[in-house]
Amino acid sequence: MATRVLPRASSPETRPKSARRGGSLADQRRRLLVPFVGPALLLYLVLFVIPIFGAVWISFHKWAGSGPMAWTGIDNYRQLVQDPLFRQSLGNTLKLLFVVGIAIFVLSFAMALILRDMAGRKIVRSVIFFPHLVNALVYGILVGFIFNPDGLTNSLLKPLGVNNPPQWLAQENLFPLIMVTMVWMTTGYYTTILMAGVDRIPVYYYEDCALAGANAWQRLRHVVLPLTWDVFGVCAVLWTISSVKIFEIIWIFGASNGSGVPPTQTWTAAVYTYVTAFSGDSIPAYGAATASAVVSLFLVTVLVVLLRRVMRRDVIEF
Amino acid sequence: MRRLGAGLMWLIVLLNVAFLAWMVLQAFRDTRSILATPWGLPKTFSLENFVEAWTVSDFATAAWNSTWVTLVSSVLTVAVAAPAAYYLSRQESSLSRGLTLFFVLGLGVPVQVILIPLFVMLNSVELVDSLVGLNLVYIGLSMPFTVFLLTGFFRSLPLELEEAAALDGASPARVFWQVMLPVAKGGMLTAFVLQVIGHWNETLLSVTLLHSTENYTLPVALISFVQQQTYSGADWGGLFAGLCIIVIPMLAVYVWLGRRLTEGLTLGMGK
Repeated sequence: MATRVLPRASSPETRPKSARRGGSLADQRRRLLVPFVGPALLLYLVLFVIPIFGAVWISFHKWAGSGPMAWTGIDNYRQLVQDPLFRQSLGNTLKLLFVVGIAIFVLSFAMALILRDMAGRKIVRSVIFFPHLVNALVYGILVGFIFNPDGLTNSLLKPLGVNNPPQWLAQENLFPLIMVTMVWMTTGYYTTILMAGVDRIPVYYYEDCALAGANAWQRLRHVVLPLTWDVFGVCAVLWTISSVKIFEIIWIFGASNGSGVPPTQTWTAAVYTYVTAFSGDSIPAYGAATASAVVSLFLVTVLVVLLRRVMRRDVIEF
Repeated sequence: MRRLGAGLMWLIVLLNVAFLAWMVLQAFRDTRSILATPWGLPKTFSLENFVEAWTVSDFATAAWNSTWVTLVSSVLTVAVAAPAAYYLSRQESSLSRGLTLFFVLGLGVPVQVILIPLFVMLNSVELVDSLVGLNLVYIGLSMPFTVFLLTGFFRSLPLELEEAAALDGASPARVFWQVMLPVAKGGMLTAFVLQVIGHWNETLLSVTLLHSTENYTLPVALISFVQQQTYSGADWGGLFAGLCIIVIPMLAVYVWLGRRLTEGLTLGMGK
């Protein structure tokens, strides 16, 4: 506070003015709450928060989108639990979350470690990050082309004597193929984040390790992992949130098979929600659709809370 | 071991680059030769596929729609979020802490949750199948991330400048406009470009909200193009051209602002 009333080279009348206001900046700023935060808050409330409550409200009704809404309590949820299609879709979302998630994490961590002291790391990093900026539709379409019966893969396999290549795009093979594509698309992004974490570890820790005669595994276990743990936590939360939304890469396989809807074996929770509400073939079931979306929200919430619990440990300052 | 790892990394880089290059090169070939020899190279760089995609398949309208929706919504997002983030980063009170948390909580909500209520709401004000409606939705949806990003950014800026300006008698609003905004240009540009990328690629909401061809954004146009192929026969040449139209602007942005982007998306994550 004392520094604020020090004489300055400014015009004499400003000094007493600001001194009179005493901590005035903070005081005056408080009055900016409405003009500064108001618009953002209003947009957020109207276009985001109210729709969330709207979703919960609709999920307790039977509603075709127009006409009367009939209150049905938790009927929609009860039917969802019994609907094999929903269970399959949710199962696929969980597969993306856990199987693809673990693959991404193992690969990105390994890549971050390799890149730590590799020549040309910046070039590598900027290339593997790029898929994050590309719409997943593009990857879906290209994978559809590469694996179609006359596509790139089979033309590579032919000279190797494979005359009956697997039906890559058959309904039962499609989802695994999508999972592999997701790993290919996403690993670079998480590698970049983990690299930022690995880079923060000061060099002298590694020097200490070398002096103490620690082998690579011990160094990983006792230095690198503990010091990047919080970055892992952030990545895990990010992946949980983004994996539950996965939609377009599945959806494009419906467009390419002509029916407009992808084979049910590949549905995710997001696809289930969309089809149930907007497929056009049957009466739209807004209640059931929003109920399935609310289940996704619940899933994310539980997992994020759990993750924060599990990943929480004393912050290591370094 | 190390050498093997490095070799693998370069292989991945090579595959990524080759993949992209292959996509661009195929866009210069006609469908028949793409199907006959998928590994072939274009004999001439004819722009026929692009012209066709641009005019006949109407990717031009979609590209125009995508461009203006992306730019307008991203500019407005940052314009609305920046003052809020500034206030929340500078005001130490339980109200501002609560508000910050309230914004951040939105980060965890999957889009499909608000999809149907948004559709119903926009339908009741006749903003379904309208780019204005889509713009509004994008702005609302971007609030949590942009406020979160910019709050962190403003916190990292030193207080001294503002205090000096206040001492000279500037009102807090003027401090924000004339002192903070110029200093914060970098962070706001990052926030803007991140929104551009997000809105350019957004698919689920635009598929839901846009119904007529003249309103399609690029992802919707691409889906409908793929769908039409199953009736009108494969047009891989045109499709590859369409893929280029959606990917190459992102590549340009990345080449232009790459480092800023990776930092914006990764920095602050470690905190």
